[in-house]
Amino acid sequence: MSEALPRFQVLTPSSVAEAVTALYAHPDALPHAGGTDLIVRLRKGLSETGTLVDLGGIAVLQGIDPDAGGLRIGAGVTLATLERAEALAAYPAIPKAVAVVAGPTHREVATLGGNLCLDTRCVYYNQSHWWRQSNGFCLKYKGDTCHVAPQGNRCRAAFSGDIAPALMVHGAKIEIAGPEGTRHLPVTDFYHEDGAAHTDLRPGEIVVAVHLPPPGPQSDYAKIRVRGAIDYPLAGIAVACTASSEGKRFTLAVTGTNSMPVLVKSPGVLGAADDSDAYFGALEKLVQKTVSPQRTGTLAPHYRRLSVSALAARLARRLA
Amino acid sequence: MSGTIGQRVPLIDGIEKVTGRAQYTADLDSRDALVGRILRSSVSHGRIVKIDTSKAQALPGVVAVVTGEDCALTYGVIPIAMNEYPMSREKVRYRGEPIAAVAALDAETAARALDLIEVTITALPACYTPAQSRAPGAVLLHDDKPGNLEREVHHVFGDVTAGFAEADLVREETFDCAEINHAQMEPHAAIADYDAARDRLTLHSVSQVPFYVHLMLARCLEMDTAQIRVVKPFVGGGFGARTETLNFEIIAALLARKAGGKVMMRLTREETFLTHRGRPATQVKLKIGLTGTGKITAVECEAVMAGGGYAGYGLVTILYAGALLHGIYEVPNVKYDGYRVYTNAPPCGAMRGHGTVDVRHAFESLLDRMARELGLDPFAVRRANLLSAPMFTANGLMVNSYGLGTCMDRVETASGWPDRKGKLAPGRGLGMACSHYVSGAAKPVHWTGEPHAVVSMKLDFDGSVTVLTGASDIGQGSTTIVALAASEILGIGLNRIRTVTNDSVITPKDNGSYSSRVTFMVGNAAIEAAKAMRAKLVAAAAKKLEVSPDDIECEGETFFVRGSSQSELSFQDVAIAALAEEGTINVKGTFSTPVEAQGGKHRGGAVGSTMGFSYGAQVVEVSVDPDTCQITVEKVWAALDCGFAINPLAVEGQIEGSVWMGMGQGLCEETHYIDGLPAHANLTDYRFPTIAESPPIEVHIVESIDPLGPFGAKEAGEGALSGFPPALVNAVADALGMDVNFVPVTPDRVQEALIKFRRANRRKEAAE
Amino acid sequence: MKRIVSLEINGRVVEEVVADNMLLVDLLRDRLGLTGAKKGCDGGECGACTVLVDGRPRLSCITLAASCEGTRVETIEGQAKGGHLSALQRAFHENLGAQCGFCTPGMILAAESLLRDNPTPDEDQIRVALGGNLCRCTGYVKIIESVLVAAAEVRA
Repeated sequence: MSEALPRFQVLTPSSVAEAVTALYAHPDALPHAGGTDLIVRLRKGLSETGTLVDLGGIAVLQGIDPDAGGLRIGAGVTLATLERAEALAAYPAIPKAVAVVAGPTHREVATLGGNLCLDTRCVYYNQSHWWRQSNGFCLKYKGDTCHVAPQGNRCRAAFSGDIAPALMVHGAKIEIAGPEGTRHLPVTDFYHEDGAAHTDLRPGEIVVAVHLPPPGPQSDYAKIRVRGAIDYPLAGIAVACTASSEGKRFTLAVTGTNSMPVLVKSPGVLGAADDSDAYFGALEKLVQKTVSPQRTGTLAPHYRRLSVSALAARLARRLA
Repeated sequence: MSGTIGQRVPLIDGIEKVTGRAQYTADLDSRDALVGRILRSSVSHGRIVKIDTSKAQALPGVVAVVTGEDCALTYGVIPIAMNEYPMSREKVRYRGEPIAAVAALDAETAARALDLIEVTITALPACYTPAQSRAPGAVLLHDDKPGNLEREVHHVFGDVTAGFAEADLVREETFDCAEINHAQMEPHAAIADYDAARDRLTLHSVSQVPFYVHLMLARCLEMDTAQIRVVKPFVGGGFGARTETLNFEIIAALLARKAGGKVMMRLTREETFLTHRGRPATQVKLKIGLTGTGKITAVECEAVMAGGGYAGYGLVTILYAGALLHGIYEVPNVKYDGYRVYTNAPPCGAMRGHGTVDVRHAFESLLDRMARELGLDPFAVRRANLLSAPMFTANGLMVNSYGLGTCMDRVETASGWPDRKGKLAPGRGLGMACSHYVSGAAKPVHWTGEPHAVVSMKLDFDGSVTVLTGASDIGQGSTTIVALAASEILGIGLNRIRTVTNDSVITPKDNGSYSSRVTFMVGNAAIEAAKAMRAKLVAAAAKKLEVSPDDIECEGETFFVRGSSQSELSFQDVAIAALAEEGTINVKGTFSTPVEAQGGKHRGGAVGSTMGFSYGAQVVEVSVDPDTCQITVEKVWAALDCGFAINPLAVEGQIEGSVWMGMGQGLCEETHYIDGLPAHANLTDYRFPTIAESPPIEVHIVESIDPLGPFGAKEAGEGALSGFPPALVNAVADALGMDVNFVPVTPDRVQEALIKFRRANRRKEAAE
Repeated sequence: MKRIVSLEINGRVVEEVVADNMLLVDLLRDRLGLTGAKKGCDGGECGACTVLVDGRPRLSCITLAASCEGTRVETIEGQAKGGHLSALQRAFHENLGAQCGFCTPGMILAAESLLRDNPTPDEDQIRVALGGNLCRCTGYVKIIESVLVAAAEVRA
């Protein structure tokens, strides 16, 4: 029944190297940027840490810059900045996804890197210490059972970031710095289907930037939520469409339904002579089969599956 | 008369709210206070075997620890149904029930101390639904309540069998309405300050009912009421959450006394949800008989409420539901069976629209469907059943003013109903419903024989008038109403008036802010007080001008002799003259409810009785997303008969707020428990609407001028709420061609219903 | 760990010894007595604690006080200048944008930031900008009206 923050020290590195060193030196340390996810979790007792490594003073984490015909976006860029960035207009799904994250005041300080590393969410997890203790804790934190799927052996908490799927359909890569140096990963490969360890970050690593290839496809993002603001996605869908002489090719990625954002297997090309109703019908079915929403929230999982699939078909039709 | 009433007046305490100067309980200076924290049960139902506080007590920085051992007296709002201890003794009945509490020098120590309290509980089987609680052999929550029934009600008025026999169409449906919570913006808080030298206790709290809190503190702490002072600072909303004494208020006091000092108890949002007292999950089985022209011949209703672990307001809620089920229309034959059931969950209580909302939802939904079946317009079927005031309803409720017909006319025209209903694009729909609510209960729960309301006024050398009221302004603007009444009757400007509210050592006792009683009762008392003050002023003016009081006239703050412009006296002159007679002038006004307003003679007949009902009608326009089944409320037209709008600005605000709160219940609000643990106890999972999806609400004020109301006024803050959920589902039916028997109409429920509905239609078509 | 933090609050430079884990809302409320910023939730859910940091809205209940070193913080207490209510304060008062008043400080500051960015917001822009500020009393109708009235006054 406490709402006080645990005791911790805040370290303020001024370079990525310093941040990496600090994180590596304090194995329990957590990176702090906007704090919109982390501080809430700390207030709920969802992490025990003696050290926060504040990334706010690192210049290289800032900026939206041209990069090999595409863009490099610093992980520390706030969502409010991204929302207004003209350079992103060529990647329509991204600003659209950014604009529906949480509420406007969260977006003032929430960062791109923070949203990509957003902790997975679950009704058995995002509760107070008293609540979780009363329920015997859970596999994700301090317990040994996943209450969502007690028969299984992994955590089913849902990835709830809006931006990752939008980046995925545009083929973005993540730049990661760590004790071993810098590495680049497609956003798709950054995630794992495990609610308790859903990112590829290793000890001491931080997300430095996102690299977008040159713009090309038209794209869109839509989110299912009960309210018009604040809510995490019950599910979200990003769709990109590339036109070529063969026809239209669609790339789709879904959030909110699994422990990671899920890239949908390519539905094949929609040719000019094809029956588009049949094509989009099949696309809808494909998304239904791809996602696996669980009882991680209070709305029915089946609803999340059906609606996100219907929305996928709707967005694809619009882009075609 | 100054013409103050009927004007749009900002709240007199509004400046404090927009400047941050308004001090709410948690804002009060607590630098010298201990931090109070509560240990809560992790078990839904169980016997307490042992509570060992020794380690907590030994922790440096811990000043006091209390448990159920420290208070063996129950508290509660209904004198015959007080079965709750501030901290559980022997048994726990819901997860989150207080077991012990600590007062420590700081929050960190308090939290550590809670961890050190060792509790051993033997779990008992838990009942989470009325069906489980009522099942044969179910474990009893309270040994003296067989069948886990808190209260059952069986009322029959007229001849229901004959009524249904007369009907051309009889339909029966069962509706499920989810439990909801007030979620007022201000989390619960209390500061208890115990003066050991004088054995005196002062409590500042978020209460809507400081008087009841005062009584319960005296009872549970076994103190003389004279040794207790209760103060209500600014309150950040209530909506019924605070219309009874709450456990943390008593616990804070117990801690303060044990610690011999001051304890600040700030509850978290989660704890505020756990304290609950919200609207219970209610299942309503309803049967209506209609003639071919839409006349109601009979109504039969069974309501089952999941009340939580303790009595609270429960018996009032279940009685209210029956009393308000039918009193809005002419219903000659009614049968009502109500069951309030104990469940292992946080106790329910009173919430805005107390008792009426879920039965009204069922009634207005079913009536709409039956109208459709008969080929009648929804407005027409309701118009066929209007009352004609003055009259008494079948269950003895007095109706003196009745503006429902006008309300319907207004929203029908404003919404363009005749031209638009049934003609909107696919996925878009219009629905309407009516509603009503009491303007204060004619019999209070604590019947003492005193007047229902007292207002005091003071006039002194400075020429200012101080109005003293114990009525709790919780944001609804009741203090402004009292000031306006004084201003109007005394003919003085609002700037000459100051208000002093809610301090038991200064202000007259008031029962509190609930059942929309304040404008009607306290407003009338304020008028009486102001009249008494005015009589003294007029007498003083008459004496000074050497005429009879009957010859004195007032215009604004000027007193003069009728027909003469020669001798004028200013308010200041008259005040000095009046003070010369007797010194500081203190007057009071009272209001008591007339006996004929106090309801029928049947058992429970007092519940639902009032001096005047507000009546409302509203039209809701929705669109439904075919892919996500998400419902968007595009616009609302709401009309409310509030008798007379003393402050139209505040009336609008109340109507908008209550319509919108009805929208929350209809659209998206509900509690969720996982084996008794609240999955909703925060403001991201208890999803009340944000500004983003909240619709424009067009308000129409209808003034029927009630003969007993202050300046003709009735209530305005609750009546419109219960119209929304049924108007919403009626609009959804218009949009989708599908009726639903549940609220809230969350998208997952609507989608599931739609899939079943379409499947059934396909089967039907295939069969044909 | 503790450090001395220097920041400007409502035009006044304040130096405070602040623990690393202290929240801005606690610095304002408990240390400086600026209780206008409210705690309505258990962290980041309701917007009642909104203040302006360097002119931008910020949820003070999830902001570390130490991270505000060198910033300019504005709270509701600093909005009235020379005894005159700000346009938004007056509009919220006169148009009943505040009922119980608990969400009001945060609501006004979120709206203040909107009007500084965009002095001519339409209803939809107001709905977006105030999306993170919950109110339980008004149904938001008169809040929107209040912001529109204040915007018109600021323009005039």
